[in-house]
Amino acid sequence: MISQWVLVGALALVGLYLLKAKRSANHQAIRRLFMVIVLIAGFVAVLFPEYTNSVAALLGIGRGADLLLYSFVVFALFYSVYQYRRQLWQEKVTTDLARSLTLTQASLEDAMTELGSAPR
Amino acid sequence: MTSTTPSAPSGTRESTAWVVVPLFNEAEVIGDVIAGLREQFSHVLCIDDGSTDNSVALAQASGARVIRHPMNLGQGAALQTGFDYVSAQPDATHIITFDADGQHLVSDAMEMLELAQRKRISIIFGSRFLDKRTKPGMRKRIVLKAAVLMTRAITGLRLTDAHNGLRVLSMEAIGKICLEQNGMSHATEIVHQLAKAKLSWQEYPVEVLYTEYSKRKGQSLLNSINILIDLLVR
Repeated sequence: MISQWVLVGALALVGLYLLKAKRSANHQAIRRLFMVIVLIAGFVAVLFPEYTNSVAALLGIGRGADLLLYSFVVFALFYSVYQYRRQLWQEKVTTDLARSLTLTQASLEDAMTELGSAPR
Repeated sequence: MTSTTPSAPSGTRESTAWVVVPLFNEAEVIGDVIAGLREQFSHVLCIDDGSTDNSVALAQASGARVIRHPMNLGQGAALQTGFDYVSAQPDATHIITFDADGQHLVSDAMEMLELAQRKRISIIFGSRFLDKRTKPGMRKRIVLKAAVLMTRAITGLRLTDAHNGLRVLSMEAIGKICLEQNGMSHATEIVHQLAKAKLSWQEYPVEVLYTEYSKRKGQSLLNSINILIDLLVR
């Protein structure tokens, strides 16, 4: 069945994204393009519900409603992976910030100690 | 320079190696640990990782230079902060990583440092499995062996003990390390980065003291799964 191949492929892409995603302008562009496509597909599905049935039939899925459910699961997974990666990146930024604060404070204290112990 | 307790005699003590001690809520033991280290080492650096007890005051009173994270980030983050701080000290030649919970022996650290200096080895890893002194118990042994296998699989370095907090690193080795794992996966990450840097290394038998205190803070078997995921997804 075509739908199985499509779904397995989509899940594999989500896994690959989890392992390999980079923060680049290209990736961001692809994500945004993806969002626009999903949005347009949403409009079409609402305005012409019968289309979802025909696309489903084309892929070998029983009903349009099933197609919507499968797509939703894949998009939801993709989104959580994206958020997870964003959170990792955010943590790294926070750590770098905290570390530079710590080191700045430490070198200030060291400078003060040195001043205090220097012969006048 | 930054000697916080100029009162102690410094002529007999090791002064080019810095002892780096990540510190998070260890008020029960930290005073004794620092005092023990200060008998042998001029430079003991504590990185306080947002302790909420009086660990900082106790460490300072015992003669450690304490620098503070503004909040709790994890042991890996604390170690890296310590590495960065010592890297800026012109006279530093080695860093000794030492746990704050009192499970390491200062004499082991001294012997490892002496070995690193004498044979010019970049990294000495402490291992509790090279002699019979340490008695971890069955459960602990299984957990640690799982971590060892995991580390071997990821890094290719055939260590016998993966999660030992006692290490001696030359400043050359420190320059090749950049820890990004804030939590407990840093132990494997250090080995991973050092393996890539292809520096000389050796293991040295050390004793790990399992006190009632340190037993309360153990790692679990499932944590090796966390380590694997942490190192794969970043």
